[in-house]
Amino acid sequence: MKARRTFLSYSRFKNYIRRPHIVISFVLLAILLFIVLLPFAKMVKDSFVWQFADIRLSRHATPGELTLFHWKRVFASALTKNTLLRPLYNSLAISLSVSACAMTIGAFLAWLVARTDLPFKKSITTVAVLPYVIPSYIHALAWLNLFKNDRIGGAAGVFQYLTGLSPPDWLSYGYLPIVVTLSIHYFPFTFLLVSAALASIDSRLEESGEILGASRTYILRRITFPLVLPALMSSFILTFSRILGTFGTPYFLGTPVRYYTLSTQIYANIINRIPSVGYILAFVLIAISSVIIYLNQRLIGKSKSYVTIAGKGFQISPTALGRLRYPVLGMVALLCVMSVLLPFLLILWQTFALYPSDYSLKHLTLLFWIGEANTAFAEGEAGILRNPLIIGAAWNSIKLALTASVLAGLFGIFIGYAVVKGRHTRLSAAVEQMSFLPYLVPGIAFGALYLALFSHNIGPIPALYGTFFLVALVCVAKNLPFTGRAGITSMLQIGSELEEASETLGARWTMRFRKIILPLSIQGAISGFVLVFITVMRELSLIILLVTPETRTLTTMTFRYQEQGYAQFSSAISVLIIVIVVVGELLSRRLGRQGAI
Amino acid sequence: MRTTIWVLCLVFLATCFSFSTGVAEPFNEQALYQAAKAEGEVNIYSYSSRVFKFGKTFEEKYPGIKVNGFDMDSPEIVTKVLAEQAAKNYVADVIFLKDPATVINELYNKKLVFNYVPSDLADLIPTQYQEPLLVHHASVDALIYNNAKMSAPPITSLWDLTKPEWKGRVIFPDPQKLSEFVEVLATIVQHADEMAVEYEKVFGQEIKLSSGVENAGYEWILRLLNNDAIIQGSTNDVAKAVGLSSQDNPPVGFTAYSRLRDKKKDPNLKFDVMVDIAPVMGISTDVVVGLVNETKHPNAAKLLIHWMMGDAKGGQGYKPYYVLGNFSVRKDVAPPKGSKSLSDLKLWKADPNYVWYNGQKVLDFWLAHLQ
Repeated sequence: MKARRTFLSYSRFKNYIRRPHIVISFVLLAILLFIVLLPFAKMVKDSFVWQFADIRLSRHATPGELTLFHWKRVFASALTKNTLLRPLYNSLAISLSVSACAMTIGAFLAWLVARTDLPFKKSITTVAVLPYVIPSYIHALAWLNLFKNDRIGGAAGVFQYLTGLSPPDWLSYGYLPIVVTLSIHYFPFTFLLVSAALASIDSRLEESGEILGASRTYILRRITFPLVLPALMSSFILTFSRILGTFGTPYFLGTPVRYYTLSTQIYANIINRIPSVGYILAFVLIAISSVIIYLNQRLIGKSKSYVTIAGKGFQISPTALGRLRYPVLGMVALLCVMSVLLPFLLILWQTFALYPSDYSLKHLTLLFWIGEANTAFAEGEAGILRNPLIIGAAWNSIKLALTASVLAGLFGIFIGYAVVKGRHTRLSAAVEQMSFLPYLVPGIAFGALYLALFSHNIGPIPALYGTFFLVALVCVAKNLPFTGRAGITSMLQIGSELEEASETLGARWTMRFRKIILPLSIQGAISGFVLVFITVMRELSLIILLVTPETRTLTTMTFRYQEQGYAQFSSAISVLIIVIVVVGELLSRRLGRQGAI
Repeated sequence: MRTTIWVLCLVFLATCFSFSTGVAEPFNEQALYQAAKAEGEVNIYSYSSRVFKFGKTFEEKYPGIKVNGFDMDSPEIVTKVLAEQAAKNYVADVIFLKDPATVINELYNKKLVFNYVPSDLADLIPTQYQEPLLVHHASVDALIYNNAKMSAPPITSLWDLTKPEWKGRVIFPDPQKLSEFVEVLATIVQHADEMAVEYEKVFGQEIKLSSGVENAGYEWILRLLNNDAIIQGSTNDVAKAVGLSSQDNPPVGFTAYSRLRDKKKDPNLKFDVMVDIAPVMGISTDVVVGLVNETKHPNAAKLLIHWMMGDAKGGQGYKPYYVLGNFSVRKDVAPPKGSKSLSDLKLWKADPNYVWYNGQKVLDFWLAHLQ
């Protein structure tokens, strides 16, 4: 009897272990443990342990031993105000303002495109997404080229060149420019989310309001707005948590006036080799993000009950803008020009200026593009199209973005499969939660952890520092939350009947995966792939500590040149990045269209 | 085939030499070149972008050896070398950087970086510059003013910078980013007594320290920050902020003396160094060069270090540093035209040992009191 029971449970176990999604789940867990949980655990540990360089900080430091020193330094020391409190205040102020601005602009634009008779809607939709495609710090560089004043940093921007007036500090650096440039960068995010929401709500609801004689504004206020509220909320919250960890823009526009945020403080501490303090500041960011995401889930969970997604009725007749039609079009055009064309032109103009502050026509030059290495300029570096370092970096960038997006996309499909098939089991929840964890860790801290963790061998795995693979790995890990989500969503849409039917017919798992799951989820995977490609192409904070001379990318080169005051080089490389990303975007759209057929 | 064997023999010989007694053998440039040529290339991490200039002249002088120069901030070089050594992924062969305190404690003392003094230079360089690591040159950080808008240096003492008329008009590089300015601040603190004496000369009374402030050096930092000092991310930006200012009352700034060379590149830049400041016009810091542990190109690395040190006339290899504000450590090299020698300038010399144990404390003080 007993033997029989053991045999039963053994065969049960054997069955359990042989189910493909279980196998996949365990494999995923093992990988996630390595690339997500291990770094996180190290972060916690290091914050409590004396590091070697800490002997500069305290006479009591004994490297390797436990201490609360770092926590005290952040939360209860003379430095608390400038290391934690003021940067925290600045981070929150920026995040709140940007989320509010970006949400307002994006939602208004989405409504204009979806519900009014505004002309050129298609072109507007295409152009409105572009600011999000361009790396956000490029808007910051463009801002500097325009509004830099000569009190700080010397070389003045175009504004001063044309008007002769020196812009005040508050216009050149700090809170205002950071908020404006980041809002310009992030409004497309809300635009996309709200557009999608507007397209999917049942327009019969709005129509019936219309039939019952409600005014346009009443319908907007009482029907449309509540229906898109969940989309608005999530765009607000996602923007908010993204901005919290953003690094490039506050670094370029904030540090000249000592306007520090938590992300720039994390960087400063890590560069100064006090990583433990950087990690603790990162915990503060993680805590805030977690609270916000929790709130988001509560809010959306509640309002879900009256989100109605059903078959579409007739398209509601668009609101006529009447006399306002062309003024509104003008405003939208202005927004597009300001957020896309102007930054691009400013950056481009800068690349032709022989001297950083001299924008006159007679001093235009192609030196920074095709100049030979000439020791009289820029310390003898050649123009970027002739510079082997920069061409190498360009290849690295493209290689990195392709590798990371393919791997992360594939990973996403497997995560989707494992999570959806194992729904409501603990295993599935573990995979889902672990793959989401990197979302909470700011890029700069994640990079620092990989540097600390993978410069030694871990068991049989050799030290990975200095390899291209490590840079790709960190990009994959950081992007898992996005591709994982995408994988889960698209897998939820595939009914399990299809797979069950083929299983009954005796198809093996590999066959089922190849013939059913992959083709059906490829559409979602491609959009995830494109998103990761663009994200990695413009990635800076995540990889800046990990790149070595052989693996440096275009973004890290821009950063270096900008830091050293070679605005022309950094601008020229930025132009190169924009071109690659936009070409990539357009190509992938064609690819996506073919994939749809 | 035969040449390969030849080259291998030479490599073997040169390696034997380099690992033998270390100091005594005569410097044999040809043998070193042949061995280096077999290695084919050398990687150098440099704090200064001028690495591309001496790299280029090196390649012309020694065809067949490629110089891969990488330009990074000094703290980043230390971080990268530490990671490479831990990962046993040895990329850097030579490091060339500021902040000797950190290099000595974090790299040299752990045997991750070694000293290399070419034997033909041993008699030409004062011993204080030969160890623990070879000093390539001394660099001076000093105050500059806009000499197009102002006919004469507007200040005479470091304490002048704390006066109300300089509120918001003093530019200082960010010590959080540029380690040599931690050295500058720490050295001022080290000479607190002299700062106190100078205070009395300027203000006619004994200095009253703010509460919690240890000495006159810290007090100077505190008052500088309270006077709305502007912090810049690079010495390049300080030079521009001072030299390109269109204000009638342009600011003054602390920057690298050698930034004077920027004036050649940009004719719009107008500034000069103030040499008559009390108690000192500036602080001199050492720039060191070292051989990295487990280097794959030891001979090319040695040849490169030898090239960087120049010759009696300055030399092609040293040429990028033969400028106002950089001071060769060689006894046989005369200072550039228009420059005094290091010993004739009123300077304090940064002490690596003091900086290692007090630099972070000074930086913490700075961070705690930033407005």
